[in-house]
Amino acid sequence: MTPAGSLLAAHDLRKAYGSTPALDGASFSVHPGEVVAVLGPSGSGKSTLLHCLAGIVVPDSGTLTYAGRDLSGMSDAERSSLRRGDFGFVFQFGQLVPELTCLENVALPLRLNGVKRKQAARTALEWLERLEVDDTAAKRPGEVSGGQGQRVAVARALVASPKVVFADEPTGALDSLNGERVMELLTESARSAGTAVVLVTHEARVAAYSDRDIVVRDGRVRDPEFAV
Amino acid sequence: MTWLRDLGIGMRFAAAGGREGWARTALTAVGVGLGVAMLLVASSVPHLLDQRSERDRARKEAPVSRATEDVPKSDSTVLRVSAATEYRGLAVEGFLMRAEGARPVLPPGVAAFPESGEMAASPALRDLLASSEGALLRERLPYRVTSTIADAGLRSPGELYFYAGSDSLTPATGGHRLAGYGDERGGEPLQPVLVVLVILICVVLLAPVAIFIATAVRFGGDRRDRRLAALRLVGADIRTTRRIAAGEALFGSVLGLLTGAVLFLVGRRFVGRVEVWGHSAFPSDLTPSVWPATLIGVGVPSAAVLVTLVAMRAVVVEPLGVVRGGGSHRRRLWWRLPMPVVGLAVLVLTGRVDEFTPVDPYPIAVGAVLVLVGLALLLPWLVGACVDRLHGGPLPWQLAVRRLQLNSGAASRAVSGITVAVAGAVALQMLFAAVGDEFEQITGQDPSRAQFHTFSETVSGDAATRTIEAFRSTRGVEAVIGTVETYVTRPGKYGKDEVAPTTTLSVGDCATLKELAEIGSCEEGDSFVVHPRGDKEASDWIDETARKGEEIELNPTRDWLPGAKSVRWILPADTRTVTAAPDPLGEERRGIMTTVGAIDPRTLPSARTTAQIKVDEGVEDVSEYVRNTAARIDPGMRVATLASTERERQYASVQTGLRLGAVAMLILIAASMLISQLEQLRERKRLLSVLVAFGTRRVTLGWSVLWQTAVPVAVGLLAATAGGLGLGAVLTWMMGKTVTQWWLFLPMAGAGAVLVVAVTLLSLPLLWRAMRPDGLRTE
Repeated sequence: MTPAGSLLAAHDLRKAYGSTPALDGASFSVHPGEVVAVLGPSGSGKSTLLHCLAGIVVPDSGTLTYAGRDLSGMSDAERSSLRRGDFGFVFQFGQLVPELTCLENVALPLRLNGVKRKQAARTALEWLERLEVDDTAAKRPGEVSGGQGQRVAVARALVASPKVVFADEPTGALDSLNGERVMELLTESARSAGTAVVLVTHEARVAAYSDRDIVVRDGRVRDPEFAV
Repeated sequence: MTWLRDLGIGMRFAAAGGREGWARTALTAVGVGLGVAMLLVASSVPHLLDQRSERDRARKEAPVSRATEDVPKSDSTVLRVSAATEYRGLAVEGFLMRAEGARPVLPPGVAAFPESGEMAASPALRDLLASSEGALLRERLPYRVTSTIADAGLRSPGELYFYAGSDSLTPATGGHRLAGYGDERGGEPLQPVLVVLVILICVVLLAPVAIFIATAVRFGGDRRDRRLAALRLVGADIRTTRRIAAGEALFGSVLGLLTGAVLFLVGRRFVGRVEVWGHSAFPSDLTPSVWPATLIGVGVPSAAVLVTLVAMRAVVVEPLGVVRGGGSHRRRLWWRLPMPVVGLAVLVLTGRVDEFTPVDPYPIAVGAVLVLVGLALLLPWLVGACVDRLHGGPLPWQLAVRRLQLNSGAASRAVSGITVAVAGAVALQMLFAAVGDEFEQITGQDPSRAQFHTFSETVSGDAATRTIEAFRSTRGVEAVIGTVETYVTRPGKYGKDEVAPTTTLSVGDCATLKELAEIGSCEEGDSFVVHPRGDKEASDWIDETARKGEEIELNPTRDWLPGAKSVRWILPADTRTVTAAPDPLGEERRGIMTTVGAIDPRTLPSARTTAQIKVDEGVEDVSEYVRNTAARIDPGMRVATLASTERERQYASVQTGLRLGAVAMLILIAASMLISQLEQLRERKRLLSVLVAFGTRRVTLGWSVLWQTAVPVAVGLLAATAGGLGLGAVLTWMMGKTVTQWWLFLPMAGAGAVLVVAVTLLSLPLLWRAMRPDGLRTE
């Protein structure tokens, strides 16, 4: 059932919160280096799909494979390890640790992977430069603008060279100009690094940065890759 | 009017803020309520002590009957003798009583005079005697419990007290005639040293309560600030937001006041069932004094409003959000440092306190408060200065340090309670150690040589000898320093105003005599003249009677009892003169000492027994066996535990108060820190979820929480140790003592470490919950 060559694939995922179904037979796949936008109205189950794909939430049923491994059968520790090593994340807001400087925030995934502090700081600074926010290195998140903060978040998502970046409404809290710049930097950096991006958004303008898009409606996903 | 309107809006926010609002208000109310309940308990202490001492005085004998010769025997007089004892470390007080007429006076709380073999017992003693736990005490008090002493006759509900009837009690066997009850005279005032200790204990215990209340009114402050920002957006100015915040704080604190009153009233009903270290109270005893209660009622809400307004000075509530000034503004040292320094100066200027001059408590209280509160004020600066210098380290450490660098205010506030409490406890313990040494020096007793002391007027040498033998054969007794004693005189004719030379004759075995005098070698049949050390006059007086090779009169009653026969004995000519040595009580015996081989004590016409008993403390209930033996010989025989004097009991009761308070205070501080920690975790739920999304291990965040608590606590403990040692040294100097134990801060430091671990462990469940992915959901 898994589409050929896919890096991450989900089939017939179901997930309910109490009696409310969030996912109702969703299928999805992404290939290495591919940018896929997940579109849908508010409350359609986009974020739940992203959380399931990233191993943050365990689906109630369905299959989920990453690089040929069954993700849904992994323990919490194994999934955490996978998120540390292979995945990166960008959220809409509230994602940077307020007490750490921007540089330390970007270095965080590397530190979690056991990289020494100085080495992690060097790599983090390179990414801040690539994302054009190296002037924020010594500042705390509360001292930078929303656009700068989101670029710092993108740098943090990419710093550990993940295979997949999950971005949940990454421009939702930004004005259009800043939002477009963030998207440009995210997709360019991901493509140059060969990183796949799963981009959850409800804006067609943001989805335009993707290679292909799928639509989630009432917890169901129409992914052409799964079409027989 | 605007003020009232804004306060009203704030109160409405607190009362109708949805689930979140109610949770915050409830948390504040419970926190303030706990503090208020403790303050109400503290303000009840004077009434409690008054009631206790009033009941105590009511059951004492009336002063008019003090001198037996002045109290004529009547229809209502009573003979009584104390039969107080101890049972497994608990004091059992009581009297043997015999009515001299048909209408004997009754002690308070007793409905009917106990007949011979019967007993009126307190409820606690009645229950103890009826239980298997009280089997050994039943041997000692073999009376039938026929009535229960009512509350009016008891100091506290847990008191072990009795009145037992006797048909053999006479003035000759120790019975004391009593005509009535009720001693209106005031009790013994506390010694100056103890006054200082009590002042310090009050300051040390109540300061953390105040800090806890101040922490409680700031619960949920972040959420409130965001709500106020929303109000700014719709046009409220900064003053209005402050007044609204004050209204919220007022509502929470008034609710806390009510919660505290309810907690106090409900808790009071159960206070009689709670006994801690032998202390309990009747519910009616716990009634707050009017002025302190009024002060609590007015002070707590006022303080809540004040604390909120001061806290709001550190934040700028703007229409688009809240800007915290805490991170950017540097805490200043100049106004924090003088307070502890001035406190120490006040204490030093108060000067030394001697043993007897009454103490003015106010300068001491003011000085101690300034030092302790000054330390609490110094702490935020100190924590800030320390964490600013911390760099590097593993990730959990970095997360914790960075968090503290951004905002160490909340942590400092919680820890300031520990600082005040630990500094105070260190100072108090240093003082206790110094004063405690002094108290032992005053008693001069040596419990390593003997643990018990008994004394009885057994009137015949035979009975006195049997008493010593009975103790020797008691289970667990290792040695008895026991002598049969009598007064002896120099035979001769003396005029009306002349006093016959008199001294004491003590008869015992060689082992006993060696404990009482510096006797090198001793054999059965030896006698000694024992002189006091360094008192020539007293030695000469002894020698007037103790003439070697001459006769001594062994029956001094011969001089005043008509028909009493003279009993003479010749002091051997080869009797050695030796110097007295202190006995285990610290007293010197003097006069003539002889071995049993020289005089058979059973032949002495009148005698008394003094026995100091050394026991094997490894034998379970050995004290009870000794006391049961004493009671079998004579129910009125006193068995005193060495080093258990009146002064030491006062000292011990103050120490008990400190221990009780320290436990309550530590629990309060731990609760305060835990609530702050939990609140912070709730605030950071989304961030924690994001960190989990990155794959952050639980253990990483767990350690981070631990360090976040441990760093301020460590700094607080350092400040507390330095401040406490300083305060302790000054107070010890004031008492004219020297510091004997500098290491006394270690147990408190250990308690601080336990506190950190406990708070961390208790906050872990919420941390785990906060790390669930639910925090990422926005819809």
